[in-house]
Amino acid sequence: MPFIELNVLNNAADPILGIDLGTTNSLAAIWRDGRPQVLRHEGNDGRVPSALYFPENGDKPIVGQKVREQALVDPRGTVFSIKRFMGRGLADMEGELSSVQFPAKEGEHGLIQFDIRGRLYTPQELSALILMRVHDLACNALGGQHLNRAVITVPAYFDDSQRQATRDAARLAGLQVERIINEPTAASLAYGLDQKKEGTIAVYDLGGGTFDVSILSIEDGVFRVLSTSGDTHLGGDDFDRLLVGLALEDLRSKVDAETARDPAFLQALRLAAERTKMELSSRLEAEYHLVVPESDLRYHREIRRSEFDALAGPLVERTLDACRRAMSDAGLEAKDIDEVVLVGGSTRIPLVRQTVEEFFGRKPHSELNPDEVVALGAAVQGHILAGGTRDILLMDVVSLSLGLETVGGGVDKVILRNSPIPCQATETYTTNVDNQTGIEFNVVQGERELAGDCRSLGKFELEGIPPMPAGMARVAARFQIDANGMLSVTAKEQSTGTTAKIDVEPMHGLTDDEVETMLKASYDNAQDDFDRRRVADLKVEIDRMARATRAHLDEARPKLDPETLEDIDEALTAADAAASVNDPDAIQKVRDELERATLPLAAVLMDEVAKQAVAGKTLEEASE
Amino acid sequence: MSPLFCAACSTLFAPPEDADPFALLGLEPAIAVDAGALRKELLRLQRAMHPDFFAGAADETRALAERNTAELNAAYEVLEDEVRRADWLVKRQGGPDENEERQMPQAFLMEVMEWNETLEEARGSEPSSSAREAALELGRELDTERESLVRSVAELLDPLPNTGSDVLVEARRRLNAVRYVDRALRQIEEIRLECRSSSSTS
Repeated sequence: MPFIELNVLNNAADPILGIDLGTTNSLAAIWRDGRPQVLRHEGNDGRVPSALYFPENGDKPIVGQKVREQALVDPRGTVFSIKRFMGRGLADMEGELSSVQFPAKEGEHGLIQFDIRGRLYTPQELSALILMRVHDLACNALGGQHLNRAVITVPAYFDDSQRQATRDAARLAGLQVERIINEPTAASLAYGLDQKKEGTIAVYDLGGGTFDVSILSIEDGVFRVLSTSGDTHLGGDDFDRLLVGLALEDLRSKVDAETARDPAFLQALRLAAERTKMELSSRLEAEYHLVVPESDLRYHREIRRSEFDALAGPLVERTLDACRRAMSDAGLEAKDIDEVVLVGGSTRIPLVRQTVEEFFGRKPHSELNPDEVVALGAAVQGHILAGGTRDILLMDVVSLSLGLETVGGGVDKVILRNSPIPCQATETYTTNVDNQTGIEFNVVQGERELAGDCRSLGKFELEGIPPMPAGMARVAARFQIDANGMLSVTAKEQSTGTTAKIDVEPMHGLTDDEVETMLKASYDNAQDDFDRRRVADLKVEIDRMARATRAHLDEARPKLDPETLEDIDEALTAADAAASVNDPDAIQKVRDELERATLPLAAVLMDEVAKQAVAGKTLEEASE
Repeated sequence: MSPLFCAACSTLFAPPEDADPFALLGLEPAIAVDAGALRKELLRLQRAMHPDFFAGAADETRALAERNTAELNAAYEVLEDEVRRADWLVKRQGGPDENEERQMPQAFLMEVMEWNETLEEARGSEPSSSAREAALELGRELDTERESLVRSVAELLDPLPNTGSDVLVEARRRLNAVRYVDRALRQIEEIRLECRSSSSTS
């Protein structure tokens, strides 16, 4: 008897998507046929620009490719680089608000809200719209297979609030977040896997809005991050801004102060700058030009790569500061690095490549597309989490120290940066007055000495301490950073063993209740969306059916009885009227009725086809 | 054998109360540790119980994987660094902690005052100025000094002194000195990093 392997018993879990939610572009990948693959749709490269356009008439927002076109026609309706706003407050965003063309205000917990055509959107919701589009296209590329578990990537240097915001965005997009992983680490997975590498590697990740550098050691299939550093406000956008500044300087005499501040003008200029920057990556000289029809403004200049390099030099130098810090933290020197990997679209800039090569003293790798490698790595992690392999393991670190504000406004560090995750630390507190039942503390993240200079993750309030004399209670607060790099706090009063309750008020974030409410609202919207899509699909189908019926009705007429013909005529009339019907059930009825009425016609045609086939002809030829 | 995981039956166990970092990695407490073997053991154990491999497991198992991995990481952090290792062993043998014994070796105090002067002058001075050069030179000297201090502590702790032994007090004093050296080295590292970035952007 042959040996039968019962795969069913292995209970293979559904595959998990890897999604790179980028500042400029987003991308999904999955593990298929023994390797990670980018999910491409309709001959496209799979990239979805992380951009949104809100039509003036209040129609649903457009996401992705078409937004760039819209940005030129109606720049005031566009949203770019929303990732930079994730988990941030308005005060952090000064000078960056032009990437979103809508008024911003600060809501509860310091959360940014954009007033878009009369509705308030948080960065989380806007990112969710992008993720939904990426998810939709990914499922299409998978032939309609609906997967909703995902690994989402974030810059390694993202703090807890920014990670939480990303996770909330994914939840709002209807995704089940299996893991948040760091972009450079993901990239190393894609590379290491491909090359079966061992040794120490540096990943230099300069994306659209953020910079990360990570030093990893790969040994026995374990990818261990030794250190990471970066800057969450340094990326391609900043290079564009340099060119925008250059043009504004040139145009000083031609453009009045009002135009120079006009968001629409700045948007058009920004896009021209981006185009010029990209052209300079492959050529030594580029045309930097812009035409603004409404104000009859023309701008044109030639720019040499060397001029651009001179402008960009200080920014690139800033990335080296982070590289030095990461090397210092890992206790390594450039000569200890075996491989250097480039990630992110901005590493196409020749000056960046050259500077990195000089710094590490070796030619960096770029075999894999720098725009795709992060999503590919996320798909590898998805494969691991789905139980697909035990050969690879990722051990990451927390990129920023975690501390507690002291009475004097200083910081008492509980978990140091570059500690491997998951990790934990326990701090013991006591009460200051008799019968005190609560203690409040401020958790901060960052390397600075004063709490005010670090980022506050929120106020944590310990409640439910049993009443006892001052100083008697001993509350142990346990800080745990999980494998996502995200914090949770639990507390226990040690003398009585009571579990104290911890209330978290997130900074620049959503509470769980808020996410729930938004999700509920989006389900209602989703039903709407679903209905609208169904109506559209049905209309297309009805139209196609009606045209096919009319095309063949005459030739088949002699073979059909008058009742059937009447039936078909009626159904066709209803089909013509369907264009103005918007009720999904009513329109479904029209379609079904048309199908039913034309069944005899189809039978006659099939008969014809059979006869023609016997005679060696097809229906098309026969009807010619 | 680590108490966190049974290789034979692939079962995770909750860490024992007062988990001992040496025990968690299946070692007897000792100042000498084979760094390579320790790392291999960490990787082996992480492969067995990292939460990545329990993503589909029951909540309870997943939480345990998360917890055990955190404990293991914390233990490794203590063991891989010889100063943290020595610090832990001095306390384990009932020796003083850094608050109970604040002294440093006598000769050391004078030195500390000298460094502070050098560092004070270097801070805020121009890139590639002589004050900065002096600070960087001091850094190289301190590296050597730290190495011999740490070696001397390791010698004091091998074999492990008995509980209450005076040797533990001496070890603590030298560890205090290491702390001072480390603080100075961190400041010098800041000066070095600072110096690089300001010289290259100017």
